[in-house]
Amino acid sequence: MLTFTEELLLLLGDEEGLFLPVKEHAFECALAGAILMDLAFDFRIDTDLQALVITDPTPTGNPMLDRVLEKISVRTDITDTPTWIRVLATEDAALIREQALDSLVNRRILERQHTRFLGIFRSVCYSTLDEAPLQAVKSRIEDVVSDEIPDPRDVALISLVDACQILPDLFPEWETKQTASRLELLRRMDLIGRELTSTISEIQDQIIRAARAQAAHFKQLTLTLALVASAAVIATLLVPGIGIPDHYGPSLPAQLWFDDSWKQFSGYLLLALSLTGLMIALALKKQLLVWLSGSHRWRLSHLALGIACVFVLFMHTGFRLGDNLNAALMATYLTVLLSGALTGVVVGGAPRIKQISLSRVFAARRVLIWVHALALCPLPALLIVHILTVYLY
Amino acid sequence: MFGRLLKLVLAVTLLGAVYMAVTMTVGGDRRMLLIGQTTHAHHQLEMACETCHGSSIFADAEVAEKTLNKNCRKCHENELKAAKDSHSRKRFRNPRMAEYWDRLDARRCTTCHIEHRPEITRASAVTVAMDYCVACHSKGEQDIRTTRASHAGLGFETCATAGCHNFHDNRALFEDFLLGHAGQPEPARPVVHGLAARYRARPVSTDKALKPGDAIAPSAALAVPNVLEHWADSGHARAGVNCTGCHATDLAEDAPKTQALAHWIDVPPMNVCMACHKPQAKTFVMGRHGMRQHPGIAKPRNAQRSLARLGLSQVMPVSMSRWLSDPAVPAWMTVGEARLPMRADADPALAIDCGSCHGEHALDTTRAEVEACASCHDDLHTRSYFDSPHHMLWKLERAGEAPPGSGVSCASCHMSKLEHRGQVRTTHNQNDNLRPNEKMIRSVCLDCHSLGFSLDALADPGLIRKNFTGKPGVHVQSIDWAIARSRSNPDAPEN
Repeated sequence: MLTFTEELLLLLGDEEGLFLPVKEHAFECALAGAILMDLAFDFRIDTDLQALVITDPTPTGNPMLDRVLEKISVRTDITDTPTWIRVLATEDAALIREQALDSLVNRRILERQHTRFLGIFRSVCYSTLDEAPLQAVKSRIEDVVSDEIPDPRDVALISLVDACQILPDLFPEWETKQTASRLELLRRMDLIGRELTSTISEIQDQIIRAARAQAAHFKQLTLTLALVASAAVIATLLVPGIGIPDHYGPSLPAQLWFDDSWKQFSGYLLLALSLTGLMIALALKKQLLVWLSGSHRWRLSHLALGIACVFVLFMHTGFRLGDNLNAALMATYLTVLLSGALTGVVVGGAPRIKQISLSRVFAARRVLIWVHALALCPLPALLIVHILTVYLY
Repeated sequence: MFGRLLKLVLAVTLLGAVYMAVTMTVGGDRRMLLIGQTTHAHHQLEMACETCHGSSIFADAEVAEKTLNKNCRKCHENELKAAKDSHSRKRFRNPRMAEYWDRLDARRCTTCHIEHRPEITRASAVTVAMDYCVACHSKGEQDIRTTRASHAGLGFETCATAGCHNFHDNRALFEDFLLGHAGQPEPARPVVHGLAARYRARPVSTDKALKPGDAIAPSAALAVPNVLEHWADSGHARAGVNCTGCHATDLAEDAPKTQALAHWIDVPPMNVCMACHKPQAKTFVMGRHGMRQHPGIAKPRNAQRSLARLGLSQVMPVSMSRWLSDPAVPAWMTVGEARLPMRADADPALAIDCGSCHGEHALDTTRAEVEACASCHDDLHTRSYFDSPHHMLWKLERAGEAPPGSGVSCASCHMSKLEHRGQVRTTHNQNDNLRPNEKMIRSVCLDCHSLGFSLDALADPGLIRKNFTGKPGVHVQSIDWAIARSRSNPDAPEN
């Protein structure tokens, strides 16, 4: 029998065999919750209002479950379920994912394939060898959402899937409202055995709460960084260019903005930062950096990189926007930075504005990402010409 | 939709990148690559990059800079020599001056003058802080604050801005010159400028003078209103230069009239003027008005040759290689290209050549001295001229109420008269004594004013704007300090 973790990963698999999150902020919490549910269904843990306790420390035989069980027994400083979900989501989600995928590979359900992106980045994807387990899981969910009387494991599974917010992706034909009311009904029904009811319910609730809290935390951080980035870009546009110092001799402004060596240094640093940002975005798109996936971490790192770029741009130009080709380069670069920062503002700030519907937020985000990507296209050519002109003339 | 947009942007980028690569390596207009606005002095030739950037592509930075400086000297070296450059390259190339190279490398023009950097460009195209004298004159035996008591409390930012010193041209500011002219009173009015007087009262040959009936030109040309009258009243007619002298230059002097008309050209090129007026033409191309004809301007790149070097000449159609040609530097500057304020009614397309100031047939040097300038220039200094004492003197001379040479026109100061082998000539390089304005003192101001007044007047920007209507509001103490120093220490070396 597959564990909840394995079932969840099967459901998250896409056509490219990448098995990665749809809703990143919930994914790690769902994985943490899945493993606690597995332990609860194996009668190894129990929860009450105050604490999560081990009822049976005997190993289950599954290395993934046993490692977490041992961790719970060792870490006596953590007692309550929400904290355990947060800790497991933060510290163990990546390992849980890897172990679950290993298990699926060992069972010959998936096959691991190694590829290289651009000949540099190692990429791993998983092709499905046996479709039956996935189909079985999906039909169980379909049965539960229809009027069938569900099994306790099915209820637990669907709560995980719901926490990941992937039901609309799995079953796009379902009516959202209808499904939501059915799920609500299932939650209220006493379908799981008495001995498990409170534990599962507690974990279900905590997954959702933790996912929301984590999402809110990241959104707050995203908003803050995005606002800083936007302000920095707007300042670059509006603040007058810094002139040459009034006093002759070595000084920081004179060296920073008017010394060729320093300008080369800041220029190449800017290029390196920009390339890093681009490569991270590409690597994430191709799912090459697993450690950055699974949360808003990549977005935060992308935003932090954007702020660093504005700072180095200031070091390179001293708020001067340039002329001709340099002005075009500056305009393009600032468009990339500003559209990226504003996307962060939309993503991080939209939940705070209740009046704006989600569809409008998504539309705004989509347009900004388009602008971000389109403005990126001419950048390499402009940059190359900019660098060439320095050495040609 | 996004996919289509992406493809469009990528296609435009690719085309743009190819175009830029071609313009950099083969030919084409490269002004889009300019990193910043070119200075007032060089913007007229900014499309001919190789005029200054003469080194080969991807040359070593040191080589590129040396070539750049070499090209600066190619155009400016004679001017600096004539100015007895106080910080000449020759002086600073001496290894004994090595300790100064790291402070402010006076061997290279680019130490202080960097092109295309408007954000740091100051007066006289200087791109370093104006207290640059501090680099060398604040240490050791060069510390001016300890060697000159009068300079003890002065800031280095005042050295070159208070009318006392210039980096290159100090001909009117050297101590011995100051002492030689100390205590000079203002001359009594009217003062006659000797060379101007000789020029304006020059005898005009009459034995060769031609009358309107002598004009050899097609009847259509003669029918153009005023043309015949203007020519008949001009110096050309008085000197015996017929219409064919300009309009049919490849004709033998004694050729019959019918043959002359066969060689007729309606608009003679300026080379025709230059052929006879060589000294004027030589200085004209050195000034702002005619610098596009300066021989130092690089020729456009040969696209065919560049393509051949890249092995593409066989592949590229000839029409395409023509399209890739560098834009040629236009023959003349137009009013519309001027960076200084110009009159709204001045024709922006008007090319600045001989005819635009002298008139094509009237060749009126009097008009060229004032009205021609004021028909385009529209700054406060120009407008104030008409209320200034200078203009009043000019009007009196024109009215015959003052002797020739006493009137002061725009050209009197900005296109001064020079004597060469007994002949009085007008320099047509108006920049020769324009910046720094102390250059004017010896060649212009001292003809009519004392040195003290000239120094004070030229150091007062407000008075310059008012075209010297009034008294100087500042006093340059150079002469006072030079006198005090020579009295207290008669053996002190002068400089």
